[in-house]
Amino acid sequence: MVNFTVDQIRDLMDKVSNIRNMSVIAHVDHGKSTLTDSLVAKAGIISSAKAGEARFTDTRADEQERGITIKSTAISMYFELNDDQMEDIPVKDNGNGFLINLIDSPGHVDFSSEVTAALRVTDGALVVVDTISGVSVQTETVLRQALSELIKPVVMINKVDRALLETKLTQEVLYQNFARVVENVNVSISTHQDEKTMGNLMVSPELGTVAFGSALHGWAFTLRQFAVRYSKKFGIDRNKMMKKLWGENYFNAKTKKWSTKSADDSGDKKDRAFNMFALDPIYKIFDSTMNGRKDEALALATKLDIALTSEERDTADKALLKVIMRKFLPAAEALMEMICIHLPSPKKAQAYRCDLLYEGPKDDENATGIRNCDPKAPLMLYVSKMVPTSDKGRFYAFGRVFSGTVASGLKVRIQGPDYVPGTKKDLHVKNIQRTVLMMGRSTDPIDDCPAGNIVGLVGVDQYLLKSGTLTTSETAHNMKVMKFSVSPVMQVAVDVKNHQDLPKLIEGLKRLSKSDPCIQTFTSPSGEHIVAGAGELHLEICLFDLENDHAQVPIKTGEPVVGYCETVQATSSLTCLSKSPNKHNRIFMQAAPIGDDLTKAIEEKEINPRDDFKERARRMADDFEWDVNEARKIWCFAPDGEGPNLLVDNTKGVQYLNEIKDSCCNGLQAVAHDGPCANEQMRGCRFNIMDVVLHADSIHRGAGQVMPAMRAVVYASMLSAKPTLQEPVYLVDVQCPESAIGGIYSVFNRRRGQVFEENMHSSSMYNVKAYLPVAESFGFTTDLRSATAGQAFPQMVFDHWSTMGGDATDPADKVNAVCRAIRKRKGEDENVPTYDKYHERL
Amino acid sequence: MKVVALVSGGKDSTYNMMKCVENGHEVVALAHAHPPEDAEKEELDSFLFQTVGSSAVRTISECMELPFYHKEISGTAVTQGLDYELTKGDETEDLFLLLSEVKEKHPDIGAVSVGAIFSSYQANRVQHVCDRLGIQMLAYLWHREQVELLQEMVDSGVEAILIKVASYGLGREDLGKTLRQMTPKLLTLSEKYGVHACGEGGEFESFTLDCPLFKKRIVIDESEVIVHSADDVAPVVYLRINKVHTEPK
Repeated sequence: MVNFTVDQIRDLMDKVSNIRNMSVIAHVDHGKSTLTDSLVAKAGIISSAKAGEARFTDTRADEQERGITIKSTAISMYFELNDDQMEDIPVKDNGNGFLINLIDSPGHVDFSSEVTAALRVTDGALVVVDTISGVSVQTETVLRQALSELIKPVVMINKVDRALLETKLTQEVLYQNFARVVENVNVSISTHQDEKTMGNLMVSPELGTVAFGSALHGWAFTLRQFAVRYSKKFGIDRNKMMKKLWGENYFNAKTKKWSTKSADDSGDKKDRAFNMFALDPIYKIFDSTMNGRKDEALALATKLDIALTSEERDTADKALLKVIMRKFLPAAEALMEMICIHLPSPKKAQAYRCDLLYEGPKDDENATGIRNCDPKAPLMLYVSKMVPTSDKGRFYAFGRVFSGTVASGLKVRIQGPDYVPGTKKDLHVKNIQRTVLMMGRSTDPIDDCPAGNIVGLVGVDQYLLKSGTLTTSETAHNMKVMKFSVSPVMQVAVDVKNHQDLPKLIEGLKRLSKSDPCIQTFTSPSGEHIVAGAGELHLEICLFDLENDHAQVPIKTGEPVVGYCETVQATSSLTCLSKSPNKHNRIFMQAAPIGDDLTKAIEEKEINPRDDFKERARRMADDFEWDVNEARKIWCFAPDGEGPNLLVDNTKGVQYLNEIKDSCCNGLQAVAHDGPCANEQMRGCRFNIMDVVLHADSIHRGAGQVMPAMRAVVYASMLSAKPTLQEPVYLVDVQCPESAIGGIYSVFNRRRGQVFEENMHSSSMYNVKAYLPVAESFGFTTDLRSATAGQAFPQMVFDHWSTMGGDATDPADKVNAVCRAIRKRKGEDENVPTYDKYHERL
Repeated sequence: MKVVALVSGGKDSTYNMMKCVENGHEVVALAHAHPPEDAEKEELDSFLFQTVGSSAVRTISECMELPFYHKEISGTAVTQGLDYELTKGDETEDLFLLLSEVKEKHPDIGAVSVGAIFSSYQANRVQHVCDRLGIQMLAYLWHREQVELLQEMVDSGVEAILIKVASYGLGREDLGKTLRQMTPKLLTLSEKYGVHACGEGGEFESFTLDCPLFKKRIVIDESEVIVHSADDVAPVVYLRINKVHTEPK
């Protein structure tokens, strides 16, 4: 039963204070998609009966089969609040109807780039936490991601039914359990929130920002609902009542008195208000229905004003429980109310998100348009991902209108991530063919879409790789590029089984790269086609898609391999020299490490190539002990103009130096992906240009001459500075019963893993955290399951790069052997060169 | 005006001769500075002269049926600044001696044909020598846009092959290819990395096998590839021409 039409939604799109853009985020298996289904059921896209079983947002066959979400999916929903609920809405100039754009995102860490893409286009997040397993590593990761994008969180504590039915917790233990989950969520929030721009974001049940319930059974509640119920009875103001329903507030049923102590002076035990007023009715319903006392259950229902149909009265046990609970505390009602009241409208959110999202001046017309969420300002639209269409090889560009209005046929500037304002780099000016509303499995065409809404676009996919900015303003800068919390550290080589299929494979790889925000596809120097992803599962899914969807030809894949980084551990033992091919220009250089902290700061964009160089130099001097004058003379970041390697001008009084700056930078950019030891990406190196001798005539010191010299001298200086590799390391989070711990340790020991934390988080369940080199992670999950009789479930997420030590140029060293293996695999001369291959004598 | 042409064997000096003729001048002699006979020193990395391919330059005078004057380069680039002042032992003085000899034998020449395009370094030195000898310098290619010029040379029938590469993006596989074959690659490199399309920065050297001024064309019978400095992306490699013969056109 569809209870809204596309036209109704389009009308709502103009009422921007009544829009909520939100994502549902959580650890894998905590019940996001099931929860989303119950919301969708309420908004009327699928019938209520199927909610909890259909997984509406898992649109792919493999998602349904594996029972996990792989791609994030967007749905628009319509919800009406009653007048009483409207009292708590801050801006109520647009009536009671609300448009909720919801994005369900994957919980498995391998797909968290999908979460990033979802968060960018939303303003609020519903964080789902399993009441039994609590706050897990991925809960923390997604919360951190949300907060760094200035997304306001609310929490749903899920699977309460299991706490009652399976673990049979007492009311007080369950309360303590809830309190601990809330506290753990708040620990994460307080660490990562930006209090200056958004205020305090900590969640609390007494404010109504935490809901409790069971997505599977379709019920949930916030304290607001019980407060409404009881405030009349007690004649206490609703907001005061909410505060009394949580924490150290007790009620003596005999004396009808409130207290903040659990026992009064006479020694009479009192019940915690939360247990008495919220949990007790629920426990009673559970108890009576599940223990066959149907009459008692039906009486209870009547007492609670729950009207049951005669058919419903005929059910028993679990079915009856579900019916009563769903009518008593409908999940959609509680959650929609929480979302509408506590999550910000686009107008409110964009006011504080603008500075983070827009790279241009804070006061130009585009920034003002975003800040005011103005549908009449120039268009500013961020495309966060590409969604495959039913038309093979074509994609919807999925994004959010932040300013202006996008319409079918509108001529827009399509600015890719490399667009530089004022130039034509990475810029296309094209018409938008169609604008569509994305609704789970289907799309509906709409004429236009104003600021504050999420939209799909047709006809943009050819001009953008994965993401980018669309605008109608010629002065517009880009919206900030998304920062992913996962890195494509695992690679696999792919090839076709039949040679004539090769063109299809190459086309398929292009499509694959477009369809996933995090995947990388490229050709290795030896000509292999490489797909790089976040982990084994991610690669497995991507290769499946490649074979069946994108390329549609039989493919064979090699063993997955790990991407390393190359770095240096000392200052070059000599000043290296390389000459240009015409021998008339010389560059002198030394390499040195920049340290882990600065490397990370650059990767996290805290030290940003686009910052004002003076201000950046000041921060580098204050935080990273750089000489402020040297920090001002950073020529470029590499690779790709933003990586964690720096080219620094340390010369004094060299004539014409500025003329070759571009060629030097380009020279470094061209090699920063391919280090000298194993052709892996460079990381954490600074290259100091010590001196330069140039031909007097500019024509003889052009790019063709300077770039090769630059490349050679970069290699020579790295090879003479104790070069080594850095290997990627996963943080592994394993949940298991106590009996499985021994097995876990032995698996880690075999694979160079290091356990660093072991917590008991609920009765008998343990949480083990460990570091595991990605290179040792192949088959880890299977291995772990067999060593623990299937009781341990690991989650692996890339955590850090670990420096391997030694000297890659020393044939006796372990790291040299690793380099040789990589070089062999890449089809190169196995021997790691020494610096004198590139260093020239005067 | 009667003109002596400075020839290196490369496309630019050849094409400038064509330009001289087009403008009504008469080329009466060819002059060439060559590296010492010692085979080891074929590539001097001179700042002023193209030395690769020198052994076959004499053949060009045969093809044009003109007298040929040559001198061994004995100096080096002593003065490396943009401007030149008379310096003892500088390679510019070899050029002076060479042109002095031509001027003595052909007192009626009024100009020198030079293939310089953008190198002020080279032009300044030739100008210096011309001033001292009281003759003009004719450089029709001076400051021509290189991409356009390259195309024009190919179209006007200059058939030259690459005999040395020394640039980002060029490699051993490019040696021996004709300008016409190389044009697409040179244009790409020019657009992408700012490599000079005519090789004016020393990116490559060429040798002319034929042009409309030649009465016979040159055929290379025997050559070998010499690696001057090895590098993965920008090796310096050249073709040593050991034996050539001419064929009637």
